[in-house]
Parts: sequence; structure tokens; C-alpha cells
Amino acid sequence: MATSDRSDLLQGTLDMLILKTLELAPLHGYAIAQRINRTSQALLQVPQGSLYPALHRLENKGFLAADWTETESGREAKVYRLTRKGRARLHAEIADWRRLSDAIALILQSSVA
Amino acid sequence: MNWLNRWWRRDQLERQLDAELRFHVDEETARLRSAGATAADARRIALASFGGLEPIKEAARDVRGTRWLEDAVHDLRYAARTMRKHPAFAIAAIASLAIGIGANTAIFGVVDALLIRPLPVPNPGELAYVTRSGPAAEGRRTLALTRFSRPAFLRYRSTLQTAHTSLAAMAPVNRMQLSVAGAGGDDGAELVLAQLISGDWFSVMGVAPQRGRLFTSADDEPSAAQPVAVLSDGYWARRFARDPSVIGQTIRLNGQALTVIGVAAPAFEGFIVGDPVDVWVPTGLQPQLHYASNADSTNGDVSKPWGPQEAIAWLTLVARVHPPATREGTTAVLDTAFRRDIEASAAATRNPQQRAYLLRTHAVLANGARGLSDVRDEFGRAVLVLMATVALVLLVACANLANLLMARSAARSREFAVRLSLGAGRARLVRQLLTESLLLSILAGIASVVLARAGSDGLLRLASDGPAPLPLDVSLSWPLVAFAIALSIATGVLFGLMPALRFSRSDVHDAIKTGGRGAAGGRLPGGRVLVVAQIALSFALLAGAMVFVRTLHNLLTIDPGFRAAHLVTAKFDPRMAGYTPATMASLRERLLEGARAIPGAQSAAVAMCGTMANCHAISDIDVPGRQGGVGDDNDVQEDYVTPGYFPALGMDIVSGRNFLQSDSDRTTKVAVVNEAMARHFFGNVNAVGKHFSEGDTFEIVGVVRDSRVNGLRETPPRMVFYPYSQHAAVPIRNVYVRVDGDVMSAAQNLRGVIRNADRGIAVREVVTLAELEERSIARERLVSTLTGAFGILAVAVACLGLYAMISYSVARRTNEIGIRLALGASLANVRWLVLRETIALVVFGIAAGIAVTMPALRFVAALLYGLSTRDPATLALAAATLCTVAIVAGAGPAWRASRVDPARALRAD
Repeated sequence: MATSDRSDLLQGTLDMLILKTLELAPLHGYAIAQRINRTSQALLQVPQGSLYPALHRLENKGFLAADWTETESGREAKVYRLTRKGRARLHAEIADWRRLSDAIALILQSSVA
Repeated sequence: MNWLNRWWRRDQLERQLDAELRFHVDEETARLRSAGATAADARRIALASFGGLEPIKEAARDVRGTRWLEDAVHDLRYAARTMRKHPAFAIAAIASLAIGIGANTAIFGVVDALLIRPLPVPNPGELAYVTRSGPAAEGRRTLALTRFSRPAFLRYRSTLQTAHTSLAAMAPVNRMQLSVAGAGGDDGAELVLAQLISGDWFSVMGVAPQRGRLFTSADDEPSAAQPVAVLSDGYWARRFARDPSVIGQTIRLNGQALTVIGVAAPAFEGFIVGDPVDVWVPTGLQPQLHYASNADSTNGDVSKPWGPQEAIAWLTLVARVHPPATREGTTAVLDTAFRRDIEASAAATRNPQQRAYLLRTHAVLANGARGLSDVRDEFGRAVLVLMATVALVLLVACANLANLLMARSAARSREFAVRLSLGAGRARLVRQLLTESLLLSILAGIASVVLARAGSDGLLRLASDGPAPLPLDVSLSWPLVAFAIALSIATGVLFGLMPALRFSRSDVHDAIKTGGRGAAGGRLPGGRVLVVAQIALSFALLAGAMVFVRTLHNLLTIDPGFRAAHLVTAKFDPRMAGYTPATMASLRERLLEGARAIPGAQSAAVAMCGTMANCHAISDIDVPGRQGGVGDDNDVQEDYVTPGYFPALGMDIVSGRNFLQSDSDRTTKVAVVNEAMARHFFGNVNAVGKHFSEGDTFEIVGVVRDSRVNGLRETPPRMVFYPYSQHAAVPIRNVYVRVDGDVMSAAQNLRGVIRNADRGIAVREVVTLAELEERSIARERLVSTLTGAFGILAVAVACLGLYAMISYSVARRTNEIGIRLALGASLANVRWLVLRETIALVVFGIAAGIAVTMPALRFVAALLYGLSTRDPATLALAAATLCTVAIVAGAGPAWRASRVDPARALRAD
């Protein structure tokens, strides 16, 4: 119960980043973290503790589906992919994010002026 | 994948979670190693970046949404384990709750059937019946207030039709003799409950036929083509096994052949709750069916057809008020028509006081959604008293369990403190404790359903005034089961919440330091309140039980004015078997002859109404030279008897003489009156030789002792007896035989006598007077037995609670008592110390109890006999009893406290 607010800070954005990352190709959890890290040029560190709860939550909501498949190293890994519902969700989240960042940008500009 | 599915797969999910996280750590370790770290460092850093695997697992588990269920299962397992560890406590708790919930459900079943459930018809809220208000209505049975003549019914019906209201009429439900034609004559006759109704009655009720058709207005006309009958679903199933060919068949009802035209809808038993109808017949058949009871007649001729007579009131009027019309609005329209009738009869009254009295009467449309019921009049309040009683008993049981749980939780307070300090949520602890109490109460609830079924049946048998139980439907229905479940959940929360809240709050430091003795220092503050509440409630129950037991005792020790022992009576109605005024006299002689020949018979008699036979023939009489008062001032209750009646019943003639064989049609018309009648009409003057008139003029030849002919509870009415020898045509309905031997074999013989006189007479029952006496106080016996039993139970439970509470307190204070003893306190001092606590609790409890009981007793005034509602003796007796029992319960622990060994008490802990 006390652990559920651990990822609150990034929760909205973390979900969006995960969905976006999986838009290109199905990945396992470790690869998702690596990919976000690399794509953001190491500006964004995914908090390891929040990643898996977030993945499970998205899976339970039906935005992600998962299969156990063999990786290059020969081990079984849980690979997540975007569902149709997840894709729709991603577009909605991106639109939301744009609106929010535009609004914030406007405020920042006005306070400078 | 929903949460339930996830819950089922939780073991698999758990393994997958573990594998997934391990994979992540391994990959990270591999990456770090390839970047040049040592194997050990790589692993440590990989794990550290995760910040610990377990919290992540917890977070991942939380998002599954099955946490509450897993917790509940854990709590349940834990609760079951606790129960197994203390089986005695669990059994005692479940048993006491099962009795409490079962008793509540059983009585609620009767309350529901009698007082709550609407009739099984469409829109029962639109139904109403016509009754009267005003001084004439006071103290009369609901059903007796609703009688109107048929001409009045027709007038009101045409008045109300303009006000969106349909009106129908019905006679009270009556026993009639039914046989199926072609089944070997009248030998197959049985007594059924039949009701005369107007042609549109079924359409007003909104009841449809399930077979054939129901009545139409044409069936109710005197000129109807053929006499017809409608069966109820219950009777169709019982007598005809749901045979569809019964439609069109001929049955005989009181000798009249009728064609069965239909069966009413299932579950519908009529408008009068407690009198489930078997057969309905049109009111137009009143003369043919020899229907002649339950009527008010003022100067009417009851031997002529009743339909056209304005002077005979015998029909209850039921209405359906169609929206938008309202009952209130329709009442106004009805009352206008009713007042015209009242003013007409007032104008014909000479006595101005009587006229004013009549003019204060109004007609009212009363809510008929639940029908009408004599049973409701008789038992409604008693059943509510019993409901309150069992509810209080359940509260006492709850308080007691709360107390026990509190003591047990106190012993576990260290466990709770440790868990709180390890980060368990308070809500989580409350939930766990509540799970324990709910498990107990729900198990008890399940057991109670079985008890409730047996309880309801037993109650109806106890309350019955005949050999069969009261005909109310108390079968286990869903609402009843829902009631039991709701009640068990409520109980579980009630007795579980207080200990749960109290101990989830305990101070972590103190609890751990003091080794689970708790911060309360040996006291349970909530516990004292609970004990006081238990004592107060059980005082209320005990005092209530005592007033009811004393009421029963008063009734049992009353002098009824007759001697019930060694007396047998048979009840029947020869008119149903086709006897006419002309053939009645010979039947009377045959019956008397047969009855006198019964071995051991000392005297035999026949009567029309008889004693405690639920028959009231009331008439207005005129005493020359006496100005009558208002209301029923001129009323007397009448009966027709043979001379053997007074000796058979053991009623002494106090002045004048008994009837003689020589009192005949050719001599003066005579009457014997009772003392109440003589006193009322003649004061201190000897009534013998006086005259009164009621149609004819009668000379009073004797005065007989007062007797409680209407039941032990009713004061003796003013009685006038007439001899059969001067009224040969009057029907015989009771035979009495006084024997000096075995009453049971005499009863057998009496049955034989009637069979020999005429096989066609269906005997309603043969019964001893003692049994009738007992039935007339069935309600008092029911209430006093049950309140008595529950009162004793409540006192026992409360004293157990007190004992447990004081014992607990002594155990917790062993240390303190040891110090006191070591410092030189005497044994008596220590005993007093403990006893003082008991006495304080008991005194508080009783004071609170008196405060609760006094106003509550006013509600039961109508159920008491021979004592007032604030009878100080009863309250004092209840208080003294409770005090004694409670102090005895508290004395044990006090004595034990004084046996504490100071040395050991100080060393312990």
C-alpha cells in the first residue's frame, strides 16, 4: 500500500515513454530501460523500481501484451508489445502531453516578458 | 484477464515476476562486466540500482488488484486458526449468536407475515376498506367496525364510482360444510373456510383466474341463472390435487349445490390475513347457504334474506382507489354519503344523548394494502413485544461477545503492537479483527436459518387458538434469509468493531514495554460500559418478563365463574347440514338423550353460543321506566340454553330459579340474567320478577353468577339467557357434558352421540372446557413463556459477562493486590475492593435499566392484566433478583482475589 506512490512523480510520463518505446518493436523490460536511456542521450534514467510495476499495470489494463520468448543469449525473457488499445492510448497521451507542454511554454514565455 | 483470473493464477504470476526480475539483474550484471567490473562488483551494483528486489515485487503485486482478496484470504485463514485454537470460545460464541439471530429471524418471519407483507395482488397500496371513527369505534375489533348492510353498500358504490373508486363487499370468512357431489352423499363433508363476496370483488382485488373464470356482477344477482363457486389455489391443490376437470363440477356447500366456475390466482388467500379462504361464493346466496353469523342487526329479521334489509349490517366494504384519486379525497366523498345515513338514524333516535353520540361517527377509508385481520388485532402488539425482546437478547449477546473479544484482544495487544511497529497499517489490523468476528457471526447466521424455521412454526403453534397453528405463511423466503444474513453481518460488526478499534490504537511503546499488559493498566474502559449495558438490557428483559408472567398468573388464578374441570363440549352447526327451525327441536332431544347416556355423565346441556366459543349475540333491550344511556348502555349478550346448562357449567343460581320444563310456549316468556346484568339495569333491587323487552316482553325468573363466557381476559358481560323450551327454532351449536370420570373417553363418546344423531353433521371439534380456557389466554402464555425464557437467558448471559469482566480485572490486578496485601490490607479489604466494582456496575446497570424500562412498559399496557404498567413491586423484584444474581457472580472473583499470595504476586512479572 505504501509503495504505490513511489512512481507518482514520473508515472504519467513513464507510461507514455514505455508505450512510445514499444511502438517501434516488442522488447523485454531490461531493453526498454536501456532504450529509453540511450534515446534520451542518458538525460532520462528510468527508475528501475518503477519500471516493472508500470509494465504490469499497463499489461493489466490491456495496453500491453506479453509473451515469453527466447532472446539472443538463449534465455527466456518476458517480451512486451503494444496492443491496439495501447496504440490508441499512446496517441491520446502524446496529444495530452503536447497540450500540457504548450501551455507550460506559454506561461514561461509570459513570465519572461 | 480480470482480477479474479489473476488471483487464480497468482502462483504462476509470482514465478514469472521472479524470473523477469532475475533476467533484468543478470543482463545488467553482464553489461557491467563487459564494461570491466569484477563479477562480484557487477552483481552488487546491478542489485543496488534496483534498490532491493522485494519492494519492487510488492509494488508489482499491488498493481495486480488482487491484494484485498489475498489479504481477506489470509485474514480468514488466521481467523479460522484462532477459532481452532480456542474451540470452546468459538462454539459458545456461535451458539449464542445462532440462538439470538435465529430467534430474531423467526419472530421477524411472523412480524413480516402479520404486519408488513402486503397482499399478493397488483398495486396493493390502492386497496382500502371502509371503517368507522368516533366514540362508537373505541375498544372494538377492527373487523367488527366495518359492517354495513347491502343496501348501504349499493348506495356507496354508486357514489364512489364517480370518484375513480371501485367498491366491493364481502362477509367475514366463515366455516361451512362442503361435500363433493357424487362422492357418497354428505359423509364426505368437511369444514372449509368460505367467504361470501359481491360479484365485482375479484376485479377490485385485481385477482385473475388461473383456471375458468371468476364472478361477475350477474353471478351475484338473486336471479342468477345458476349458483356458482370459485376455489382458492390452496384448496384446489389440497382437495382436488390441481385437477383441471374440477371446473364445471358440482359441490355442495351447507347443502346448496354450486357449480365450480374457476380457481383464483396462486398465492391469493383473500383479504383477511389469518383466515385463508378455501371457497368463495356470491353474497346473493346468503339465504340458501343459511349464512347467519357476524352481523349487527337493529330491528332486522335475521330469518329473512339479508340482501334487501337495511337493518342488518354484515358486509365489509373494500375499495380500490385508482390514481389520481387519493384515499383522503375519496374518504370525504364517502363520508358525505355515510353522514346522510347516520343523520337519518339519529333523527329516529329519541334519546338526545344517544343522538349526539351517533352523530359523532364518521366513515373512513383505511389503508387496505395488508388486508384486514383479527389475528393482527390480537397478536400484532404481542409479536412486536417479542421482536423487541429478542432484539434486546441479541444486543446482550453482542455486548457479551464484545467483552470476551476485548479481553482476548488485550492478551494479544503485544502482538498488535509489534505488528504496528513493523509497519502494518491500522486499517489492516481492524480488518483482521473484524474478519474474526464476522466469521463467527456468519457461521452463526447460517446455523440460525435452520433454527428460525423451527422457531416460526413453533410460534404459530403456540399462538394458535385452535388445534392447528395460525395459518400464516412464514416459509423460508429470500427476504427472510436476507434478514438473517444482514443481521449476522450487523452483529459481527457490532461486537467486533469496539475491540478492533480499541486495540489497533494501542500505544506501541507501552504495549511492548509492559509485556502485553497494555496501557490500560488492568482495566477495560469499554468493557465497563458493555457490562453496564448488559445489565441494563437484562433488567429491562427481566422486568418485562415479570409483568407478563404476573399477568398470566393473574389470569390463571381468576375465578371464571364456571367450573372447567370434567367438562366436555362439542361444537358444530346443524344448519349447515340442512336443519331448519322445524327440525331443530327433535335434534336437540336426540342429542340431549344421547349425552345423558354417556357413562359417568352428571349433567348435559345444549346452548346456542355457549362459553368461550367465540360467539357473541348482542342485543339492545328496553327496561320499563329506565332512561337508557349512550352507546352500548342498553346492550346485553344473549344465549339460548336448556335447564341443564347452569349445573353442567357449574354456574350457581344466586336468586330465583332455573328454567323449568314447564316454561313453554303457553306460559310467560322467561329469562335468567347474570349478576352483571341485574346490577346494571336494576341496581341493588332484586331483579327477579322484573321485566324487560326485546321484541317480546320477558320476565326475569332467576339470577345466575357472573362468568367469563368470552374468555378469561374479558370481564363478564351482561348476560341474558333464554330457555330453548320457549324458542324451539333457535339453532343448537354446542353440547356440554359434565362427567365424573375420564374426560378424554367422554369426548370420544360425545363425538359418537352426534354421529348417531345425524351422520351428516360435521363436528368442528370436541374439546374440554379446560382446553378452551387455556386457548383464551394463548397470547398471554405465548408472551410470558417467551419473554420469561429470554429474560432468564439475558440475565445469565449478563452475569457471565460480569463474572468474566471482574475475573479479568482481578487477574490483571494481581500485582496491585499483592502489594496491598503485603502492606497490610486485610482479606476483607481486598474482597471489598473487588466487590465494590461489581456493585457499582450493577447499580449503574439497574438504574439505566429502570430508565429504559419505565417508558417501554407503557407500550405494553394493553397486554397486561391486573397490574399497572409502573407496578413498583415488579420493578423492585426484578432489581432485587438481578442484584442478587449479579453479586453472586461477582463474589467468586472477589474471593479469589483475597487468596492471592503476596510473595508470588510480587515476584511474577
